[in-house]
Amino acid sequence: MAISLLQLSSYVAFAIFIVAVLAKWRKWSSMPIHLRWELYPVPHEKGRSEYGGSYYEEPDWWTKPRETTLAGELKDMLAEMLFIKRAFEYKRDLWIVTYPFHLGIYLILAWLALLFVGGLTEAYAGLSIQSTHPWSQLIYYLTLLTGSLGIILGTLGCIGTLIVRFVDTGMRKWSTPLHYFNLLFIFVVFILGAYAWLTVDNNFSTARAYMTSLVSFGSTDLPQLNGVLTAHVILLELLFVYIPFTKMSHFVGKYFTFHKVYWDDEPNLRGSHIEDKVREVLKYRVDWAAPHYVPGMTWAEEATCVEPWGEKKEACEVK
Amino acid sequence: MSKDDTRLQDISKPLNEQLVKIRFEDLMPLPAPFKGPEDEPPLTDPKPDWKKDYVTELDGYIGIDMPMPKNGVEEKELVQKFLNGLKKLLSENNNWEFLQPLMLSFEYCAQCQTCSDACPVYLSSGKKEIYRPTYRAEIVRRIIKKYLTKSGKIFGKFVGADIELNANTVLRLAEDAYRCTLCRRCAQRCPIGVDNGLITHEIRKLFSAELGIAPKPLHELGTVQHLEKGSSTGLTPEGFADIIEFIEDDIEEKIGKRIKIPVDEKGADILLIHNAGEYLSWPENPAAFAILFEEAGLSWTLSSEMVGYDGVNYGVWYDDVQLARVALKHAEIARKLDVNKIVIGECGHAHKAITIIADRVFHDEYNIPRESCLTLLWDLYRKGRFNLDPDKNDFPVTLHDPCNVVRLMGIVEPQRKILRAIAPQFREMSPNGVYNYCCGGGSGFAIMQSMNFPEFRNKLSARMKVKQVLEAFSDCISPDINKYFCLPCSNCKGATRDAFVHYGIWDKCRIIYSGLVELMVNAMVDLEEPFVEWEWH
Repeated sequence: MAISLLQLSSYVAFAIFIVAVLAKWRKWSSMPIHLRWELYPVPHEKGRSEYGGSYYEEPDWWTKPRETTLAGELKDMLAEMLFIKRAFEYKRDLWIVTYPFHLGIYLILAWLALLFVGGLTEAYAGLSIQSTHPWSQLIYYLTLLTGSLGIILGTLGCIGTLIVRFVDTGMRKWSTPLHYFNLLFIFVVFILGAYAWLTVDNNFSTARAYMTSLVSFGSTDLPQLNGVLTAHVILLELLFVYIPFTKMSHFVGKYFTFHKVYWDDEPNLRGSHIEDKVREVLKYRVDWAAPHYVPGMTWAEEATCVEPWGEKKEACEVK
Repeated sequence: MSKDDTRLQDISKPLNEQLVKIRFEDLMPLPAPFKGPEDEPPLTDPKPDWKKDYVTELDGYIGIDMPMPKNGVEEKELVQKFLNGLKKLLSENNNWEFLQPLMLSFEYCAQCQTCSDACPVYLSSGKKEIYRPTYRAEIVRRIIKKYLTKSGKIFGKFVGADIELNANTVLRLAEDAYRCTLCRRCAQRCPIGVDNGLITHEIRKLFSAELGIAPKPLHELGTVQHLEKGSSTGLTPEGFADIIEFIEDDIEEKIGKRIKIPVDEKGADILLIHNAGEYLSWPENPAAFAILFEEAGLSWTLSSEMVGYDGVNYGVWYDDVQLARVALKHAEIARKLDVNKIVIGECGHAHKAITIIADRVFHDEYNIPRESCLTLLWDLYRKGRFNLDPDKNDFPVTLHDPCNVVRLMGIVEPQRKILRAIAPQFREMSPNGVYNYCCGGGSGFAIMQSMNFPEFRNKLSARMKVKQVLEAFSDCISPDINKYFCLPCSNCKGATRDAFVHYGIWDKCRIIYSGLVELMVNAMVDLEEPFVEWEWH
């Protein structure tokens, strides 16, 4: 069977999403080493993170092994990812709406994953998800649960987030039309999904059939999609394409802000790989124009061979 | 509280208008014994003749005390230079130092304002918009959007490309960059990890590195004087030698024993570097260190070499290269003295500058271990190297957590463990530890004394700390009881000294401020007379 245009657009949208997210990841991870700028509490500080301590509390710390705990990081990460802990603690009126909104999105992602598993099961194991097989039953009900809850929480949360953004003076004054557009875009996707679920696809069998047609690369029948379902699929695809190019890709940035900035307390010990990286960045050429700079010198030269008021020193050994 | 209708776009308004005027009724109330406006000095207006050369059109206060270009041709140049600087700030070669954290913070802020209520300046002001942590950050973000991105050029206001970049914008933004203490309390709250404190730091860097604009106490009288004359205080090596002799005499007078303070002792284990402000304003602090180190039998030395006797590094607040120039000089002196480690005295920003920020500037023989005096002192205490009697400190004591030492470096417990052991009436203020409030003097504010900036500091940036201190001593606030506010940081002491004078805290409440080592020496069993003097100075 031939692949329809709609199916093709789904593949393309998903591919763009993956490539764009990877490109974003690459962009952040390929930036040069930066000066340390950690912020305590740093959750991997073993035995100290509870009160915000660091290895600097240890006398002669550079002579002792650093004790870190991955569990501490995971605990903090999960609390933030799954519960949006900081918004809960510091801006509860926003959290009340943004948490269900985010939870709704997580559940919809889980729902998509379950549709994917269901699609694979139907396409390659020949097992209908609507059969009485235990595996089918598990996937069927989990899909039903995540999809239903995801749609309800996501839709309500999205409406609530829109309202709070408009009602909260600080948020309203600082919001651009784009902020509202992004939320409205997501809302439209949710509300179309909700409408389709409530009217023509109560148990998500059509959604699964569409996913099955995708994972089987056209070897199974493409289900009949009405106008609402077709619009929903297209808008969802557009959302996937759009997200990596917006602030909504903060799921990528958040890894770097926490792991590579706030929690990056790795010391530059003699002979370490950090020291090698430092030597490299000190070779960058600087062209700041203020009087206390000499444009064109390397960073190390600026730091050691220029007088503090901007005159080049006559003799100087670069440090 | 008066309503504040200030918008982001107002930053570009003509300079005949002051964006915000602070009124007493807007200020956060102070607890007892303060009852109302009659208990504190009034707010003042900027002098009319300041307007000619300085930017009073933000909130009426002047942080940048260098004449600013405020006419025709120079204005165009100013805008162009600002844009050039912005491009450099976003480039790898000019700003490898903070490119990744900066770009992340520019890219992901959702304007949820979760950070706003973390800011002591914002809260103290009665929530004035220009002090929101997001205010200056969002202005720069929108300027970038409008002038440096395609999406901004195509979609304009829809994507937030709506800030007009003119001289008014640049001048007000320069001032607003000096309304944040860089305490980074806001950053702790961000669910995404956006750091508005960093963006403020970077705006300051842009102005310094490209336009040569920075407050004189930080640059001309700060890092430049530090490197040129030996200290940001103007203290010369000769002056330093005289002060050391004075301190030795003073110690002898106080404890009845002469201690030879080691200076330039090659091969010592420790190079101790104090903030030079201690020698001039609080010589009892280096004296207390000398007494304790003598008692503990340490191998240590001070340096009399230019820069080596002043541990400050004002570059940490506004210019990375100036920071590196000072830090490398410190490291070079330590290397020449062949010490095993540098120990930083009671100075918060000196701690962070040489230990954390400059960590990725040092390499090879300049990469010398650095340690906090607080860690060392606790280690000595727990090893029984001091003979202390806590009963000698039987008065109410509370502790300030210098942001640079605690939130930004993670040294939280050593100072507390000492206080719990030597001060029976020690009580925490709230909040404390890594969630503390800034003293109000952070990021250079403590030393910025020009024109009416001290009023900004006392009324807005230090107000929260004054409130906290009063609350910590609320059970004994009467002036009949002497109380001790422990501040293990020179700049925090400077800001507190001025704030306490401003609010009349000594007369009203009998609270003195001083360091940790003074309190330790006060508890020494061998001392016949108290080391702590209960008088205002």
